[in-house]
Parts: sequence; structure tokens; C-alpha cells
Amino acid sequence: MTSEPDAPLFADRPEWEDVVPLPQYENVDPLAPIFYTDEYKDATNYFRGIVKTGEMSPRVLELTENIIRQNPAHYSAWQYRYKTLMALKAPLDVELRLMDELAVRYLKTYQVWHHRRLLVTETREPGPELEFITKSLQEDMKNYHTWSYRQWLLAYFNDDALWSDELNFADQMLESDIRNNSAWHHRFFVVFQSGVRTGDENREEVVRRELAFVKNYISLAPNNASAWNYLRGILDHSATPYSQLLLFVTPYSVPRSPDADLVDVIDLENPPPSMGAQLPCVAAIEFLADIHENEGGDDIMKATELWRSLADEHDTIRKKSREYRIRDALQKVQV
Amino acid sequence: MAESQLLIPLHVSYIKSLGDSKDDLAYHMTAHLRMNAIYWGLTALCTMGHKDALDRVEVIDFVLSCWDDEAGGFGAHPDHDAHIHSTLSAIQILLTHDALDKVDIDRVTRFILSLQKPSGVFAGDEFGETDTRFSYCAISALSLLGRLSDLDVEKTVSYIRQCRNFDGGFGNTIGAESHAAQVFVCVAALAILDRLEEVDQQTLCWWLAERQLPNGGLNGRPEKLEDVCYSFWILSSLSIMRKVPWIDADKLTAFILSCQDPESGGIADRPGDAVDVFHTCFGTAGLSLLGYPGLVDLDPVYCMPASVIEAKGLRKDWQALHRRLS
Ligand SMILES: [Zn+2]
Repeated sequence: MTSEPDAPLFADRPEWEDVVPLPQYENVDPLAPIFYTDEYKDATNYFRGIVKTGEMSPRVLELTENIIRQNPAHYSAWQYRYKTLMALKAPLDVELRLMDELAVRYLKTYQVWHHRRLLVTETREPGPELEFITKSLQEDMKNYHTWSYRQWLLAYFNDDALWSDELNFADQMLESDIRNNSAWHHRFFVVFQSGVRTGDENREEVVRRELAFVKNYISLAPNNASAWNYLRGILDHSATPYSQLLLFVTPYSVPRSPDADLVDVIDLENPPPSMGAQLPCVAAIEFLADIHENEGGDDIMKATELWRSLADEHDTIRKKSREYRIRDALQKVQV
Repeated sequence: MAESQLLIPLHVSYIKSLGDSKDDLAYHMTAHLRMNAIYWGLTALCTMGHKDALDRVEVIDFVLSCWDDEAGGFGAHPDHDAHIHSTLSAIQILLTHDALDKVDIDRVTRFILSLQKPSGVFAGDEFGETDTRFSYCAISALSLLGRLSDLDVEKTVSYIRQCRNFDGGFGNTIGAESHAAQVFVCVAALAILDRLEEVDQQTLCWWLAERQLPNGGLNGRPEKLEDVCYSFWILSSLSIMRKVPWIDADKLTAFILSCQDPESGGIADRPGDAVDVFHTCFGTAGLSLLGYPGLVDLDPVYCMPASVIEAKGLRKDWQALHRRLS
């Protein structure tokens, strides 16, 4: 929140003598009068002063950095800083290194990321950015701005070299946290949502690979909503009927059978729930109900029984939504 | 001990007192949100039936003092540059106080439209950060000003459509992860434009219902913490799709009430955290949509008093829970 403790006020620095500081415009403010620290008041008074004269000089960079460090959400300071960098043709790699520090410090501030976007659009060197993002995700593995910046970078520059290691990166993120929804989303973005990667031209093969991938993750931790969403995402995207997953899903939808450990032939296409997983799994019951509903006819009753078991027993907080599904399905049968 | 009642008098005095805490250093950090803060405070007061707790003339004077004559929009604070978010808040405040006649509607419309990018998304200001939040700000503001006819609807919808994800949700830009707050801005924007057919409603309503956690609170993405403000983002989206009953109302109500500060008033993001006007607004808004007794109806599309929106003839086909008598 504060700048360097010993830095003198701008009002006390001889090199700023020629700037006329402009105090905050005072006005009625029924919800919140402004109360500032002396350091903040001093810096923003000088900021208003230089904005008024339109000065764009190296000392403006010092002043705006000072303000940003006190209040990273001060968007006018960011804006003016960017304009000044452009006017001075300042070395943007230097600016990016400063941003490396500020981004990690103010991870949740929009402006930090937008400023970066503007800089990289100028430098047109996205390569080092991927490495920076990977590092910064270590601070907060689900930070929305960081992920969204990565997705923008990939799509905007969109060259093969940039994409080449992306699947690997998504894998590593999932390995460190199997439930990180941002990483699951990113995988979908890389594989299905942003064109076809080199080596991924055979789409049927890609769908098979992704199905095997997600089944394996579900078997490791069946109660993982993100993985089930990913599974549904693949099926919807490739127009694969859910019923093709019947064999895989069924063991997850029932309590663990006492003789499960006796099965010695493992079906590699349908990995079973890992030992110790909590069963039955709500997402599996839901999935099975969807299969039955799609089948129609007598299967509708099977679907309603499954929804009933979710409503009354396995997922009572969502009781109303399952009762809605039951009514809805029964109505369709009667029509 | 968790509160079992909404402490209306305490919240009203909390909002009124926000201007007094002069020793609060956090204030200088939030000048860029001042206009929004007044909108949040006023909306919370309206929801609790105490619209007049803040002086109408003072509020209107403040809003007008934030006019940026160079840009033709409103800033968040008297000497700040115009921004689309503070411009929407200004319009919402003025309309709530029936004072829209004080705005140069032609100029504001031009300012808003100037922020649309070729892709169809809107930027927040001339600095250029783009986000579906800003698309919502633009659409809502133009609609409230009666100038939606000036908008290129196809282009605007096309960008929002591209932000739709495989889980039915929406992100802040093309390719970004689904997030409940972004779901609200996209669904409400499409509702205003009468383009709800762009939403995969079955998948999305299910994803939204999945956001409720065993403690009753709602989160914004899978595996994230619950937070009071998601009550509004999610309930409003579900209201628009007429599926509010999919949320366990008793549990969510209890969760929101447990986030109140029983001594000084205000609502926090989670029980025991510091309160703020943002969560006080969206906590009370959520309770209103849940039919909490004694509250005033809130329009979930515009997040404004329903009576104001109805008077403008802008009401969409949403449905909240019936207001309970006790
Ligand atoms: Zn929140």
C-alpha cells in the first residue's frame, strides 16, 4: 500500500519544483468523502499537475509507478503511464520486467494485466510471456486474470511454436491439482476450442485420446465435477451419444461391490473407481440418468428412479432441480 | 450465533455512515469505485424500503459532478475520466431518482457506442480493456436510455456467443473460463436484447445449481469458496431462466444472513469477514429474489427496483420466488 518508506514527498523534491500540484476537486460526496495519506495526496496532486500540462517525460514514469504502488487500481495513472511510454519510445522490455514484479504483487488487479497486454501487443514477443504466466500461476493456480491472459496470448499471436507445448502445460497443471477447473477449461480450450493443433489433425483420434485421458482422471478421483464436465464437453462437442459410456459409468453410480477387488482382468478402456473412492458418485448417477432419459420409453422410469435417489439421498441440496427433471421427463412420456 | 433475521435498521445506518469513517485508509484506494459504491448503497436501500435514507439532492449533485465533458460520459469520481461502468451506475442512480432528464442522452449514447470494438465486445474506457462485463454495461445503459435501437445487435451478440463454453457458462473474453459473474452479465445482456435462445439453458441452469455448497452458499466456479455476491449473480441468471427454485432457498437465505455484522451492520462475503457496501447490495438483492419477507422487488436483469423498470416498460419475462409474508 505504501511506497518506499524513506522516499521524500514530491512537494519536497527540487526536481519537481516546476510542476504546479493540483489538489483533489472537492465536492459533496454523500457516501464517502475521500481521506488520503499524505504520500498519496502528494503524488496524485502532482499527477493531476502533469496531466494538466500534458507532460510526458521520464519523471512521469517515476511518478506513475509511485502512485500505482500505492494504489494499483488507479486506472488513470496506468493509462497515462502507457501513453508516456509510447511517447518516449521507452524500452518496453524494461517495463515488462517491472511488470513481472507488479503482476505477482497485485495479481487480482485488472489494470496490471491489461497494461501487459498492451505492451506485448507492441513488442510482439509472446514467447517469454508463457514462461512468466506459468511462474505467476504458482502464486495462485486459479487466478482468473492470469489464465485469461494466457488464453488471449495464445489466440492473439496464434503461431505453432507458441502452441507447441500447451497440452503438456495443461497436463502439468492438472497433475499438481486434479480439481483445478481452470486447468480443465484450458485443456478444452487447447484441444477443441481454438483451432486444430499440429499433430491433432485426426479428430476421431483426438476424441479417443481425450476420453481415455478424462476416464483415467475420473477413476483416480470420481467426485470431481470438473472432470465430469470435461467428459460431457467432449461428448457434446463430438456428438458422441452418452450411452457409449454406459459400461464406464455404471460402476461409479452404485455402492462399491464387495467383490470388486476380485476382478483381475482390468478393462483398460473402462478404468474402475480407485480404491477408497467415495461411491456412489453423484455425477455418475446424474450421467446415467441422462443416458436413460435419452433412450426414452421404459428407460424414462429408470431415469426418474435415479433422480429420486439423488433428490432424497445422495444430493439433497439440489432436490428441487431433480424433482423438476422428474416432472419434465414424465410429462414428455405422457404427451 | 448466526443471525436469523435481516437486520434492516442496522444495514441502513451502516450505509448512511459510510461517509463518516474519515479515518478509514481504505477509502483512498476505492475512489475509482465511488460512483459504483453509491449505486450499490442506493440499490441496497431501495431493496430494504429505505430509498430516502440518502439525501436525493446530494446524490444527484454528486453524480452530475462526475460528468466528464471531454468524453461525454461519467467518471467514478469528479476528476476521473469517463468509464462505461461508472456511466451505467450514474444512469441507474439518476433513473432510480427519476432524474434522467439531467443527462445529455445523445452524448452519452455516442460515448458508449464509441467503446465498441470491431469484434463486437465493448471496452471499459479509451484505455481499451475489453470484457463481457462492459458489453453488459453498454447494453443495460442504452436500454435504460431508450437508445438500444442505435446498437449493432448482431455484432454485439456474436461476441457474447463466442464466449460461451462447453459447460454452458460464459467467460469474460473469448476462450476464458466460465465464471458465475460473467454468466450474469452475458445472460442479462441477452435477455435485454431478447436473444436468450443463444443460451444452452439446460446445461447452464444445471451448472448454476451445482454452484451451491453444503453450507448453503454459492461459489462462482467449481472448487472455489462460497461468497455472498454470487447469490445475486446466480439467482438473477436463474430468475431470467425461471429456475430459481433449483437453489435450496432456506439454506442460501441462512448463509446470507450469517454474513451480516450484527453490531455495526453491513454484509460481508463470508461469515466473519469485514463487511462492504458491494456485498451488502448483492446480499440484500439475493434475499429479495429469494422472496425474503418485507423486502422490495428487485429486477434481476437491471439490478434495480422492479417498479422503476416496469414504469419504463422494460420488464423481461423473469421469475423470482414469491414474497413470503413471514
Ligand atoms: Zn464477492
